[in-house]
Amino acid sequence: MRPRTVKMWRDLSAARGRVAVMILAIAVAMSGVGALLIARTVLVREAAAVYVGTNPASATLEVEGGVDAALLAQVRTRPGVTDAAARQTVLTRVRVGDQWRRMLLFVIAADDPMRVAKLRMESGAWPPADGELLLERTAEPVLDATAGDRLAVAGPSGATTEVRVSGTVYDAALAPAGQESVGYGYLTPAGLARLGFTASADELRIVTPARDQASVEATASAVAAWLTAQGREVHQIKAPPYQHPHHSQSETITGMFLAFALAALVLAGVLVAATLGGMLAAQTRQIGIMKTVGATTGQLLRVYLGAVAAIAATATVLAVGPALLAGYGLTGLVAEMLNVEIANRAMPWWVPATYVGAGLAIPLAVALVPLVRAARITVRAALDEHGAGTGVGSRRSDRWLTRLRGGRLSTLALRNLLRRRGRLALTLALLAAGGAMFTSGLNSSAAWRSWVDDGMARRAYDAQLRLTSSAPADAIARAATAVDGVVAAEPFVSLVATPATADGRIEVQRTYPDDGHGRFLLAALPAPTRMVDFEVTAGRWLHAADTDGVVLNQSAVSRLGDPHLGDDVHLAVDGVVGRWRLVGTVAEAGGPATAYTTPQSVARFVDPGTANMLHITTTGDTEEVTDAVEASLATAGLMVGESMLIADLRTAIDEHVAVFIGTLLALAALMAAVGILGLAATMSITVTQRTREYGVMQAIGARPATIRRMVLLEGTLTGLLGSLVAIVLGVPLSVLVGELLGTISFGLPLPLRLSPVGLAAWLLLSVAAAAVATLVAAHRAARLTIRETLSYQ
Amino acid sequence: MIQVRGVAKTYPVPGGEFPALSGVDLAVDAGEFTAVVGRSGSGKTTLLNLLAGIDRPTAGEVRVAGTAVHEVRETQLAAWRGRAVGLVFQFFQLLPTLTVAENVMLPMDFRGTVAARRRRPLALELLDRVGIAEHADKVPAGLSGGQQQRAAIARALANDPPVILADEPTGNLDSATAAAVLELFRELARAGKAVVMVTHERDLSGYADRLVTLVDGRVAGDVAVTA
Repeated sequence: MRPRTVKMWRDLSAARGRVAVMILAIAVAMSGVGALLIARTVLVREAAAVYVGTNPASATLEVEGGVDAALLAQVRTRPGVTDAAARQTVLTRVRVGDQWRRMLLFVIAADDPMRVAKLRMESGAWPPADGELLLERTAEPVLDATAGDRLAVAGPSGATTEVRVSGTVYDAALAPAGQESVGYGYLTPAGLARLGFTASADELRIVTPARDQASVEATASAVAAWLTAQGREVHQIKAPPYQHPHHSQSETITGMFLAFALAALVLAGVLVAATLGGMLAAQTRQIGIMKTVGATTGQLLRVYLGAVAAIAATATVLAVGPALLAGYGLTGLVAEMLNVEIANRAMPWWVPATYVGAGLAIPLAVALVPLVRAARITVRAALDEHGAGTGVGSRRSDRWLTRLRGGRLSTLALRNLLRRRGRLALTLALLAAGGAMFTSGLNSSAAWRSWVDDGMARRAYDAQLRLTSSAPADAIARAATAVDGVVAAEPFVSLVATPATADGRIEVQRTYPDDGHGRFLLAALPAPTRMVDFEVTAGRWLHAADTDGVVLNQSAVSRLGDPHLGDDVHLAVDGVVGRWRLVGTVAEAGGPATAYTTPQSVARFVDPGTANMLHITTTGDTEEVTDAVEASLATAGLMVGESMLIADLRTAIDEHVAVFIGTLLALAALMAAVGILGLAATMSITVTQRTREYGVMQAIGARPATIRRMVLLEGTLTGLLGSLVAIVLGVPLSVLVGELLGTISFGLPLPLRLSPVGLAAWLLLSVAAAAVATLVAAHRAARLTIRETLSYQ
Repeated sequence: MIQVRGVAKTYPVPGGEFPALSGVDLAVDAGEFTAVVGRSGSGKTTLLNLLAGIDRPTAGEVRVAGTAVHEVRETQLAAWRGRAVGLVFQFFQLLPTLTVAENVMLPMDFRGTVAARRRRPLALELLDRVGIAEHADKVPAGLSGGQQQRAAIARALANDPPVILADEPTGNLDSATAAAVLELFRELARAGKAVVMVTHERDLSGYADRLVTLVDGRVAGDVAVTA
């Protein structure tokens, strides 16, 4: 081996502790980078594959009166339609123990060729017998049922009929049942009729060869026009994006996390640069000597870059295991969240290539500047370097340092802290960057909780009930308030609406077949309402006198193309188009896109004085009280089709982002680790470089304990200063992360919330780490004899 | 081998400029062992630094081994130095993490003057020449001061440079060891090297061929040394 290479290895070996810190920092960051590269790549690919594998309908047209076999055959021959199927979706309930669960029944003809929106049988067989249904596999835990069990499914009258679960299917186009707090069942029209519902395949699902939104919408609109010409009324056209319902959220969030992990890697690179810079500063004379025996700047630079490459390569290799574990772990968690079955766990070739490239290139790129600076030093400057003196006082800006007064120790510590301002800036930058990301992770998590808590607190009701048909509002209220435990009851109207154009044309909806993702509602609440108090983000809330006023939540604003206050809003309900004037917008946590209006403005759709929904506020056990309200309503002849507790809504909201918040917190911890390691490394270098100075101090009478105290004070001050900068920098970063997370999840940025626990934890952690790192190095320095310290090179 | 003409060197100091050297002329031939003496601050080390290309003159010319050192670019100086000059320091300046042999091989490695497989045998040969071959595989810390200085001299000879420059090479050695080191320099000069040594030693009879005395940055004396 060449002597220069031998020197590099021995130098690294002599600085084992620091090398270990550098390797650890890069390995920690690379674990994150690798994990997110794997998770993102495999998830995005597999989610697309399973979704496409179902051959999802490009568009679904809601056809009044249903679609029979003859019409279906004709549709299949329409231009731009490659295949078509007629289906039906019914929302009902299932009794699970003493609770009701929402249930979506997907009705498919027994002779359906199952080419469109395909299901994969997991157990049992298609078609189920009339008294049977198949469950989507994620619905089993929601309904607490498996094949062979019997479910009590509610019919339109509210009466339940026992249906046997004949097997399970995998429907990759649906979000997991648990996340949506709903059961998914598949049965034939005959099975549906047995429950008392009218079987009518009113969902015409068409498949188009082109999958882009414009082509799909054009074909769907042409089919709708043709159907209308045939005398068939089309109420709604749904054309969801050609991707899994949660695809874009997952892609954006994993992308953001990957950016976080890469930032951690850059941070680790800075740590390596700072540490190596410190080690090289201690070797300045050796660099000078090597130059006197013929070493060029380029040769020295290659040696030191080789050292960085060796460190980075070791870390990159060490991180492979944790990256694979964390990557596939995260893939599994998110896949479960998306109801995506990972058929192929292999990663494409460019993932390991990018991993290795990032692991080597980023630390090398970051370290290049300090290494070039060290290697370019002239022989004269290198030989003049003595270690103890650092030229303090020679700069004009140093003069104020000499005027610092205080206790003897604190003055010395403060002057020492400020004399190498470049090093101090680097240490603070490392600590601040790590800390800012750590605190912003915790702040975002706090903001998330605060936003959801606030959103829930703005709903005064504890449960929401949907009746199977409209009924007089006062009768509903009477039946509800007669129940013990009901504090308040407020009937209202909620209708499924479709955005329309000014000329009455129904716009194509981006709604998925589960009717949850992309749903649009028109809710007519009493004005004033006692049940909701949403935060008004623009304009005002509804007045009792509003006859055509409408208030939109943020999802509705987005769906309607960001209308301005005073603009007209056109919505169609059952094919009838109405016009409203936008008077305000509100922020709403959870729930679909909704336009809120007054009862009198929906008179053209429902009979005045009637309602189909009920909000109740309860005391005691909400579930029991809600059951009692249902019973009371049934006694009055009012059947409940669906009930939802606010607690369940909260669960659904939390379930949507639990994995993402968890990952954010894990990344925050990773950032903190890198920041703390950086602080430890630079503090250790600072102390080591002053070894000679400590010798001088001991020679003139300083006791080792005094030196230790002085150094400890300096380290603690650095930790404190760094953590304060981190807390300040964490604020704009929290705003940025909150904006991204909030916009993806709710369509609105999360509010800025500072996590007191996070801030205090960071403050304590960084100060303690600074103290420990400094103490270890100071202890080592203080143990050296005066002779040893003065001969320290 | 060495020509210094009208060389001046000034350093900026808070009060203005400090003249370290003024109007220095000096010529050293191959095979000549020249000792430069003078008090602290007389400009000895500055002169040596100019000869080694470590510093640049403020005025005048410095030619060493046929190269106008004052005109060579900073980036090319290291390569030139590695080939043309061997440097010996008062505190030896061996790299502590390399063995003695590896220290000697280092200049060969950087300059590529010797084939890789020939480097160790040559290093051992040089160490044998300075009398410490048996310590080849020890790290410098395991050697006495005199042995370390011999190792440093072997390193200075690694690329067979025509010029050897030594800065107070005996300043950190006892008198017997210092005498041995001076004898080594004399041998090198006899072998054809131009040796320039900056020193405080006054009694160089029997070793140096010539004694150049610097006073306040000027050549105050230049006499041949007689045995």
